[in-house]
Amino acid sequence: MGKGWCLFFLFWPVAAVVSCAAAPFIGWSFPYDNAQAASNLGIRIDHLFYLILAITAAVFIGTQAVLVYALWRSANNRDERAQHTHGNHKLELIWSIIPGAILLFLALYQMNLWADFRFKNHYPEAAVKDPLAEVTARQFEWRFRYPAIGKQLQPKPQPDDLYTVNELHVPFGKPVLIQLRSDDVQHSFFLPALRIKQDALPGLQIPVWFEANKPGVYDLVCAELCGWGHYKMKAHVIVEPEEEYQAYLKNLTQQQSYDGLGQIAANENGSESEAAEK
Amino acid sequence: MRFGYRHFILLLLFPVLTIAGCEQPKVEFIFSEKTNELMPAAAKPVKEALVREFGNPLALTQFEGLPTKFGDVEGKVKSVEATGAEAPLIRFQATGLENVYDKLQGLPLEWTSGKAQGQVSRIKEYNFETGMIAVEKAADIAPQPGDTFLVECTRLQFGRDLYNRHCMHCHGMSGEGTGPTSRYLNPPPRDFRLGIYKYTSTKSTDKAQVQDLERTVKEGIAGTYMPSFKLLTEDEVSAIVNYVIWLSIRGETEKKLVDELFLDFSKETFAERTSEAGGETPEEIDEELKEYMELDFPDTLDFATSSVAEAWEEANREEALVIPESPRVPDSPESRERGRQLYLSNKTKCATCHGPQGRGNGSATHDFWTNPVTNTKYPNRGLHDIWGNQLPPRDLHRGIYRGGRRPIDIYRRIFAGIKGTPMPAFGSSALTEEERWDLVNYVMSLPYSSN
Repeated sequence: MGKGWCLFFLFWPVAAVVSCAAAPFIGWSFPYDNAQAASNLGIRIDHLFYLILAITAAVFIGTQAVLVYALWRSANNRDERAQHTHGNHKLELIWSIIPGAILLFLALYQMNLWADFRFKNHYPEAAVKDPLAEVTARQFEWRFRYPAIGKQLQPKPQPDDLYTVNELHVPFGKPVLIQLRSDDVQHSFFLPALRIKQDALPGLQIPVWFEANKPGVYDLVCAELCGWGHYKMKAHVIVEPEEEYQAYLKNLTQQQSYDGLGQIAANENGSESEAAEK
Repeated sequence: MRFGYRHFILLLLFPVLTIAGCEQPKVEFIFSEKTNELMPAAAKPVKEALVREFGNPLALTQFEGLPTKFGDVEGKVKSVEATGAEAPLIRFQATGLENVYDKLQGLPLEWTSGKAQGQVSRIKEYNFETGMIAVEKAADIAPQPGDTFLVECTRLQFGRDLYNRHCMHCHGMSGEGTGPTSRYLNPPPRDFRLGIYKYTSTKSTDKAQVQDLERTVKEGIAGTYMPSFKLLTEDEVSAIVNYVIWLSIRGETEKKLVDELFLDFSKETFAERTSEAGGETPEEIDEELKEYMELDFPDTLDFATSSVAEAWEEANREEALVIPESPRVPDSPESRERGRQLYLSNKTKCATCHGPQGRGNGSATHDFWTNPVTNTKYPNRGLHDIWGNQLPPRDLHRGIYRGGRRPIDIYRRIFAGIKGTPMPAFGSSALTEEERWDLVNYVMSLPYSSN
């Protein structure tokens, strides 16, 4: 092995470390707003991620340094033959116990976060009592069903429920819970900005809660390859102040009861231009 | 092994080899099956006329008077780059194109002032960022600062690009509904070439309004594989719909031309006419066809294009829209009961198809029906649409409303029927306005009834 190969193998770990370190500063890291999650739970998940990243980075740099050192030494010294050894009990104990301890630490460290994220008895009570909407994933769109204003979401559709597609409005500053369903195959409800991801399974209704910590328009995408149109399964989650959210629901109610006469307010994307024109 | 020059070259070659072969295949609009069943001498002028009037996917054209936007944009030459005598292209900086579609390469550019006035150049290169255009050098093309020009077809081309990205794999390159994924879908994607769309806000004899198609693109069609494209911008949706209507008009024009010729000049008729029983010689038929092509075909083409264009234009008039005369009758148990009686009555015969309980299993689903186009019986029991697909009447208990779930949407389905399907229009029937609303109330209550 020549020195050229040593440099070649040195280049990639260095490039990996440099690009990882630079990622948050050049927009290659987590999405939105300087890589800061748009939910408090998301920020805690990010901390956990960075902790794991720091540990793995230390291990990665250490092992790569040893590897390159070994390569470089043998490239410099062509006369010395490699020596065969039959293992080292002490060494094996060390490199089993240290990763084991790290894994144990991580398992204990993340327990609270995992419980808050996934255990229903840890969910915010208000959100569980009054779910916001039912979200149905289907090839290849997201359909939403809200209860009528002032009513609670029922497991079965009600005559005055409100329906929309690919546009979920959410009030700002309070935890919300959605009931996630799938109409056909397995999909995955993924809000990258809020670090929320949950598979949607046919036949199951899965509660998912989240709380956005700043208003905005966030992407909702499908994170499970669900068929040929998977790439187009995108929606927006619009986080807005409570008053705007209520106004949106009112507008939706008006639109949904439109009987072709009189005026109704146009919605944001102008799909009611017919009514507006008259 | 040393990391030599040869290895480095191999590493570099890998991505080059991967990218090679990604060249865009040559694409063309396909002609209908019926066109290909014409005698070759009859099919040829039809195909030529279609290519002349509509071009092909890479060079779209549009005849005058069509209601779709071709997209002419006016530009002005700001400065011309000095080039050597050997250079094959003339480059110039243009203004006025800042807000238009960014892929102008390949489009025709018509000079409207200056020395080259009236001449057409093709855009060979276009840089959206700098506004630099390059056209082929020609003896009579010598742009000067201040010269004006039109770039044609920007709107249609924008729509085409979006259509090819989002719609083509189901609806097909020519809007024929047989894109690569169509074979896996039920219901199958719509064949646009008949110019018929099911869920419209217009009367039964009118075509779809532009808004109807835009609504379908934005909201999708619940219960089918047509997804919602709500994340596209208004401009993109409108460009797609513009192109879809253009594809429909192309298909309808083709159909009208072929229908005129089919009876006398199809391959099958030719065989019949030249058989012993027919008693005509191929020369006689050729002569007749030649005469028809010289005398009547130009008029037929003119009529086909103008009548289709007119129908699309008329659909956007306010009179074409179905607007109830009175507001919705309040949704009460009494109104629903009146609606139920109507539903079961002979006046509407809803139960014949949708079944006595609205489960979509009426007696009509057990009969063999006749195809109104071919006048032959369908091989399967039950109702069919004009595209030839078996069409079970809707189960009204499912709460899935393909054409929209607003009361006005259901009202319009009842008033104008569903185009291209056996669902009849009750707009001009003996039903009163109140009765239509009673029916709407009953139909909308069914998904929540205990029955």
